[in-house]
Amino acid sequence: MNIISAGMVFTRGSGIGSFENALHEGWRIPGEVEYSKSNKSFAYQFDQTTIRDKAVLKKMRRADKLSKMAVAAASEALGNSGIDDIRGKNIGIITATALGAQVTTFSFLDDIIEYGESSVSPTTFSNSVHNAAASYISMVLGIRGPVMTVTRFFFSFQSALQLAQSWLNESRCEFILVGAVEQYGDVLAYIQDTKLNASPDGRILPFNLNPAYQVPGEGSVFFLVSNKDTDTALCNIEDVYLDTYEKESEKPDVNIIDTDGLLKDESVYAESLSPDIPTAAYSPVFGSMMSGSAFNCLAGALMLRNRMLYASPVQDNPHGLNIVDRTVSRDIELIRCIRYNCYENKAVICLRKKQ
Amino acid sequence: MSNNNVLISGLGVISAAGRDLSETLESFSTGRRNAGPVTLFETSLPYPVFEVRDLPEEFYPEHQRTAALALCAVNEALQDARLGEDLSALRVGVCMGTTVACQLNDLDFYTSYRESGAASMGPVDRYLKGNIAEFISQRYRLNGPALTVVNACSSGTDAIGIAMSWLKSGLCDIAVAGGADELNRVPLSGFGSLGIVSRDPCAPFDRDRKGLNLGEGAGVLVLEKADSAARRGISSGMRVLGYGSASDAYHLTAPKPDGAGLETSIEKALSDAGIAPDKIGFVNAHGTATHDNDAVEGKVLAKMFGPDIKILSTKGVTGHTLGAAGGIEAVFSAAALREGWIPASAGFENQDENIPIVPVRERTEIRGESALSTSLAFGGNNSALVFGRGRKT
Repeated sequence: MNIISAGMVFTRGSGIGSFENALHEGWRIPGEVEYSKSNKSFAYQFDQTTIRDKAVLKKMRRADKLSKMAVAAASEALGNSGIDDIRGKNIGIITATALGAQVTTFSFLDDIIEYGESSVSPTTFSNSVHNAAASYISMVLGIRGPVMTVTRFFFSFQSALQLAQSWLNESRCEFILVGAVEQYGDVLAYIQDTKLNASPDGRILPFNLNPAYQVPGEGSVFFLVSNKDTDTALCNIEDVYLDTYEKESEKPDVNIIDTDGLLKDESVYAESLSPDIPTAAYSPVFGSMMSGSAFNCLAGALMLRNRMLYASPVQDNPHGLNIVDRTVSRDIELIRCIRYNCYENKAVICLRKKQ
Repeated sequence: MSNNNVLISGLGVISAAGRDLSETLESFSTGRRNAGPVTLFETSLPYPVFEVRDLPEEFYPEHQRTAALALCAVNEALQDARLGEDLSALRVGVCMGTTVACQLNDLDFYTSYRESGAASMGPVDRYLKGNIAEFISQRYRLNGPALTVVNACSSGTDAIGIAMSWLKSGLCDIAVAGGADELNRVPLSGFGSLGIVSRDPCAPFDRDRKGLNLGEGAGVLVLEKADSAARRGISSGMRVLGYGSASDAYHLTAPKPDGAGLETSIEKALSDAGIAPDKIGFVNAHGTATHDNDAVEGKVLAKMFGPDIKILSTKGVTGHTLGAAGGIEAVFSAAALREGWIPASAGFENQDENIPIVPVRERTEIRGESALSTSLAFGGNNSALVFGRGRKT
């Protein structure tokens, strides 16, 4: 299937252009936030005022931040399609989220604790349901195809892509908005800092592997995918390997690894790297998220479209890996995006230059 | 691969109506309704619920109730399909719907965090291990795709539809699919706040219906490619013939009054199955007993199948089991086709003049070879499955 277009929001703004700028500019120190009364940590938070399409926001005044991020990204992806009558097509939506509306869920628990279970807010409850973000995309963009929300922690996004491919092959949809969304919250920060290694200086060190350091992030990426092709399509998703052995294929030009500190020890990634294939990792520009694979996948798609190899934003390299250390023009053919989960299972998304 | 080659080789179910399929069919026969006050947690809310009693201890890992319910149903379905405990040599996927298990909504954990800025990581660890599909995949050492569907009340139906897609696209040969959800204080409060929970046992499609009752349980199908079943020496006449899904794009919690999304989902399911509406022998409706759901669903079903179509809602004996509902009702639909009868639609007494359809009032023999099960969800999602029976292959 082809990535026809994409949209995104993240800590450094809204839109694909913001992400391309970040890939060019490299790492910036994230903001510091306070959580659990007196603790502080770094976090890559999204500023909602950067959403440019105010008409979209107007249609979802009662929505939470998670849903607004998802709708903004999906709306941009649809708007970038270059297809005149795109909204009249048979479009499905598949939203991947590891943790969903956890911030709104805790807000609902605040209601129960403060006001009692018979005096809670129905609006907060409605927005806390896991599929609320996908539903808002459907309502705001007027999409009446199948609308699905799926979760599988580290492999949420890869699972969504796999399902999108199946739906397209069955002709269940002509186009699918498939993407990921995660929101930062203080409880999440507390959990991550308790269970994992908090970065002392705001830097995720993606090539350190062990110990790995995390900085919570938030944002959303959506892709419009189809088995059709267009002149402006970004690239082809050749394969998604998940819960199966990766087929032996030609050597990729680049490996993008999803190291972001959400595994305390990321040494397992070394198994998938080769000294003769350059490796990149972009989590330091968007933060640690279980569905952060979508952001790295977008980085890969932009590299293929722009014929550009983007330097890894943080380059501490204690193991002497062959890393992408400079931004250079390069005609890239094939990229592997690699993620491991806590069971050391591997998922690979293969992106190929559009023929 | 044609849908006709997706066999149902195993069924497993647990709910307030029974801890397995035979107990459930017994409840259906006798019309027993096990609604009562909440005993699983403290609450001041006065709503009756459908709890599962005497959940077998062996299926209760680490206080994860949703996982326990799922394991009960999966275990029964795998036994029914004559599949053992270790499935690592086969290509088996698992796709499960849920609502509660996808959220970290542990009140004790959160209260502690709020009050002291610290909390035990025990509930977090249970949550992280409790992704239902991943949990089952790890438990049975499955060697295929695993995915948890969190599409509110259509999750179980959608999980089965996704499993069909996996089989057709060759991602696996066998798929364990359905839904599981526990009764939980948070959704009970939430649904209560929406004013759609009844203080009496629910009465789907009834003129005097006052809302839904929450329930809990799990329902699981083992779906299998015909050639895989043949290799294992398994025969089954039961099939999932079609799946369809469509969104209302209308409202976060209310169904679209004209039911356009539901109608489209049913049309897609019938088209996927390659059958006409007149081949449907009965409809296992979503039938939550809320005013809006039953009004919209009744109108659409009457429009598409005529006012004489045999319909029932089984939520009168299970309550609304949320993410499990589609899985549980898929098991009931397939079992009813196999058994050749459907039970009375529990709770129904008087026809609503605004609903041009009457659910069955007594045990009813069914003649058709196909059945439809529908699910409507928060967020405006509508999904439908078509089941078929025929010669064993």
